[in-house]
Formats: sequence, structure tokens, C-alpha cells
Amino acid sequence: MPEPTLAFKGKGAELFSIQIVNIALMVVTLGLYYPWAKAKKLQYLYRKLELAGSPFTFHGTGQEMFRGFLKGLGILAMLYGIWFLGIMSQEPAVMGICTLVFVAGLGVLIPVAMHGMMRYRLARTSWRGIHMGYRGTASDLLQVYFLNLFLTVVTFGLYGSWLTVNLRKEIIGNIRFGNARFEYLGEGSALFWLHLKGFLLTIVTCGVYAFWYTKDLLAFYIDNILVEQEGAYSRLQSHVTGWDYMKLTVVNMLLLVCTFGLGYAWVVTRTLTLVVSKSTIEGPFNPDRLLQTEKEYRDATYEDIADMMDIGLV
Amino acid sequence: MFEGKFYNGHTSQGMPAAIHLAAHGIIISYQAGEESGTVFWELAGIEQSEFNDATTLLRYGGYPQQQIAVFEQDFMQALQRHYPEAAFLKSRYRAWLRTGLAGMVVAGGLLLLLAVTVFFWGVPALADQAAAHFPEDFERRLGEELHTTLLQEYEIDSAKTAALKAYLNALQVQADFPIEVTVVKEQEVNAFAVPGGFVVVHEGILKEMQGHEELAALLGHEIGHVQLRHSTKAIARSLSYYMLFSLLLGDISGVAAVIVDNAAAFKDLEYSRSAEQDADRAGLELLLSNKLNPAGMLHLMERLQAQEGDEMEALEFMSTHPSTQNRIVEIRQQIKETSYTIAPNPALEAAWKKLKQRE
Repeated sequence: MPEPTLAFKGKGAELFSIQIVNIALMVVTLGLYYPWAKAKKLQYLYRKLELAGSPFTFHGTGQEMFRGFLKGLGILAMLYGIWFLGIMSQEPAVMGICTLVFVAGLGVLIPVAMHGMMRYRLARTSWRGIHMGYRGTASDLLQVYFLNLFLTVVTFGLYGSWLTVNLRKEIIGNIRFGNARFEYLGEGSALFWLHLKGFLLTIVTCGVYAFWYTKDLLAFYIDNILVEQEGAYSRLQSHVTGWDYMKLTVVNMLLLVCTFGLGYAWVVTRTLTLVVSKSTIEGPFNPDRLLQTEKEYRDATYEDIADMMDIGLV
Repeated sequence: MFEGKFYNGHTSQGMPAAIHLAAHGIIISYQAGEESGTVFWELAGIEQSEFNDATTLLRYGGYPQQQIAVFEQDFMQALQRHYPEAAFLKSRYRAWLRTGLAGMVVAGGLLLLLAVTVFFWGVPALADQAAAHFPEDFERRLGEELHTTLLQEYEIDSAKTAALKAYLNALQVQADFPIEVTVVKEQEVNAFAVPGGFVVVHEGILKEMQGHEELAALLGHEIGHVQLRHSTKAIARSLSYYMLFSLLLGDISGVAAVIVDNAAAFKDLEYSRSAEQDADRAGLELLLSNKLNPAGMLHLMERLQAQEGDEMEALEFMSTHPSTQNRIVEIRQQIKETSYTIAPNPALEAAWKKLKQRE
């Protein structure tokens, strides 16, 4: 059995030709084309991502995401409406209550959007016909999020590393890939020291260490992902070095600057190529033995809220 | 006959398959170990993965879908030959790539042209429409909010404000909103209007004025901005541009902040050439309807011109703000074209004297 390999086959020029049409259509439609543009981009990126020689498929469509986009816009408009009415009322009490409702609403929306986005994105991802899925509940994610956010606030941000790691544990722990499931092993303390070390060394080396710092972060995120399949565990491993990362960053910067930002598509494909091709699966994971386990799910409401609020995929 | 892998939608095990293109669909015969079988895919149920390359991926049926992967290069051509009308083979992306460089440049140019039109004409037109249909009480409340925020930066001269109010009361004004004037202690020769009927006048411009017709002209000009919804339109425009950009960049969380935070940037809102000239015309009309000397408008312009100096004149072509000289020419022309009567107005003159005495 050959090792299951990961590869990214996307080309900058292809992505560029997709993006340029996307941008033009978005401008012409005053942004309404956005969900279709996103669907096209994701379809391309997933189609060029390969595991064991077979590509992934993104099943999401612009139509689905447009419906989600409208619902998301409605939810945000409602929250902003409440806030705005509060301000217009000019009564301090009403203003306070409305602002509170607004802030609380946005606060709850962040984890809810993360949850919704994971459900949609994963349910619409397949590989050799086997769909991924997200089994977590919104209430669990809300609990993890607010407990850790509270601790982060009272420790003036020091707990931030634990917040990040605990969210990843909750989210990644609920990802299914057919009958395989994921787990996240990292610990908040490890991330905290990594940040501290990275921060100090970056200052001492006048910024040069930043590349190694980022490489360490990448390794921390990737290497701690465990895949369980029929009771046997495998692990992801990143082989990106500090040098690799430095070359990537410097060339990417030059690409962006010299092309006035038009080179962004190449930046995306170069980055994915490096990160994916230098990641391996260590262990007995057998890509031929995945079984379909997930139900169909097509609600994209929070997919776009997550985008609007700038919540990245973990 | 092509060779490929068949995935049945229940397991990820790829089963070697012989793929035959029949008249009304694809016949797939698979065999893996002791498991073997044949499935028939009707053309209507087949979906193609977008962005196929050397590997062609096809999917079929409802959830969970069956799938085939064919690694042979000429499979795609064979599909197109066999099923030239099939819906699943029509890919707008592929068609786009086939247009070649010339086609892309033309299409890109057209799209760009369209985008530019939408951007410079469509968005402002839409925003103006929206602003023109704002409910009046909403506009008034928005104005109140902006006005309160703006005035926090200034020191109000309450004695002069009272005197200016008296002057305004003696003036015949037609406006959709109750006009509220405020004089602030600021030496710059300037005045501005806030939506919903608020006019803020700098002390500096009052000092420069020699006759009350100039003041009437100024008030008429600013009330013209209010009445013609110029600043509401400008806010709607900047808001729509902001929304457009944030949609393009995928972040709309800051839109409400713009409305509220914009108070500071509000003063710097530039009206378009035509907006400024429309307000001038409104000012002139106010003078005429009150039987005041229309030359007041010209004198007011001359004060502004003296303040600006000459260096601005050269920038006329680059600026969206009409130069004062152009405005003067325009006003002269309008005065020449209208017939008017001038009558003394003791009430206004008395109010003007009181205002001047406060200096």
C-alpha cells in the first residue's frame, strides 16, 4: 500500500482567470455576484487539492450560498437596525439597551457562524464520493467560546492561546471524513510558549525569526491533527522549514508589489502548493476504506456571515 | 470504450471500470474482487466537476452520488463528440477559456467599461434616488444626530445665534424642514448645512460681510443645499461606495459605523459642481422673493474669492468644486436674465444691525 499523499495542483494563471471574471462581475452587480464568485473559487481550489491521487469536490453552488447570503444579510441588518434605532431614539436608556442587544447579538453570532460555516462547508465537501461532515452542536461551541473568551478577557489576553487551542479541539474533534474522524492534540500551554518564544526571538533577530515563528505555528496547527480510522490513529505532519517559508513570503511580497496586487492568485496557489505538498499523513490511514456516513446538508446561512465577520476557516 | 475508476457513493474504494458511451447514457461495468456489476447513467442525471483537467470526474444521481474518474486525455473529447447537446458538458468556464486572448481582452475591456459606468454613474444615481426618497422625519433625526455631534467641536456664540435667528425669522423662506441656524466662534470664512434643516455659520464670514443681502444670500445658499438634499445625497453616495467596497472585500461589519463616525468627515463632504451651482441659484431666488438686491450673491462670492486667493483658480479642471470665479460668471448671467424689483426691508435691516452690533 503506497503512502497516501497530499498534493495541490492549482495554477496561478487558472485561478487568476477565474478571479478576474469574479471581480468584474461583482463590481457590475454591486457585489451581488459574491456567492457565485466564492463558489467558483472554492470549486477550483478543492478540485485541485488531491489526496492519494484523487481530487476533492466542493458541491456548494452560488445559488445555495446566495440564499445563505440573503439570510445572513437579514440577520446582520436586524442587529444593526436595533442599534441604529437605539441611537436615533436619543434616550440614554434605550440607547444603552439597544447597544447591549447589538453587541450581545454580534457576540453570539461569531460562534454560531463558525458552527454553521463548518456544517455547510464540510457537508458540501467530498472525496471519491465520500462526504465530510461536522457533528458538533452550536451550544457546545458557544460554551467553549464564551468560557474561553471570558478567561481571555480577565487575563488581559494571556489566555488567548488556550482559547485558540480549545476552539480547535472542539471544532476539529467534530469533523468526520466518512467513518474517519479527526482530533486535535495541541495544548494551550505549548502554543503560549511558542508565541512567547517567537515574539522574543523575532525582536532579538530584528524580524528574521518571524519566518521560523510562522513555520512553528503552522507545524503546531498541522502536526497536532490526528485521524482515527477504525480504531487506528494516523497523524498529519508538516515538513515546511523556516527557509521554505522565507522564500515563499519574500517572493509572494514581490509578486504582490510588482503587479500592484494582481498577482494575488499566484500568492494563493504558491502558498497552498507549499503547505499541502509538504504535508504528509503518518500512520496506517487507508484512503480506500472510507465509508459514507454523513447526511446531506445544504443550509449556507452562516457561510456568508462568517465571511462578513471575517471569521477564517480554522 | 474507456477505462477508469468507479466509486459507488458508499465506500472510497475505487473499482476498476470499463466505461462505454452509449446513445442515451453511459454504461459502467465495474469489478473489484468478487464485487462486480453494471450501472447505467442517464445523460440528464450526470454532473461534471467544474475545472476538470487530465482527469475527468463525473458524478451521477442523488445523494450520495456515484462517481467515475477517467484518466485518459481523450475521454473529454469523446464525450463531446458523443453528446454534443448534453447539459453536463456545458461549462461556461471552459467556454471562457476557449475564447482565447483576443476574446478575453475584448470581454475584459467591455466588463471594465461596464464596471466603470456602474461605478461612476450607476452608484451615484441609485444613491441619489434613495436619498431623495428618505422620509423627512428620518432625515431630520439623522441631521439632529449629526448636528449635535458636529457642534461638540465648536464653541457656540449664543448672542449672535439669537440675532441670526431673528434675521432668519424676518426672511421669507420656503423649506421642507424648520430651519435652525447656529453661529460658532470660528474665524475661517465658511458656513455649512446639515441635512434636516440645520445651518452652521462661522463668525468669520459674518465679520467679512458688508451688507445684509450677503447674509440672505448665504442663508439662501445653505438652505438650498438642505432643500435639494445635497448632503443627504452625498452621505448616501459615500455610504454606497463603502458598502460596495466592503462587499467586494467581504466585510460589511463596519457599515453602521460609517453613518455614526462620519460626523467628523461630514464637513469635508464635497458637493458636485452642479450641486453648488444649484444652491447658488436657490440663494438667488431667496433674494428675489424677498425683494432684496441680487448683487448680494455676487458680493458674497467676492468675499469667498478674496479669502481663497488666486492659487485655487488653476485647479478648476481637477476639482469637482466649481471655482468661485465660474460661479460669479454664472450668477451674473442669471441676474441679467431675470427681471426683479428691489424694495427696502426695514425688519431685515434692523435684525442685521443687531447682529453687527454684537461684534
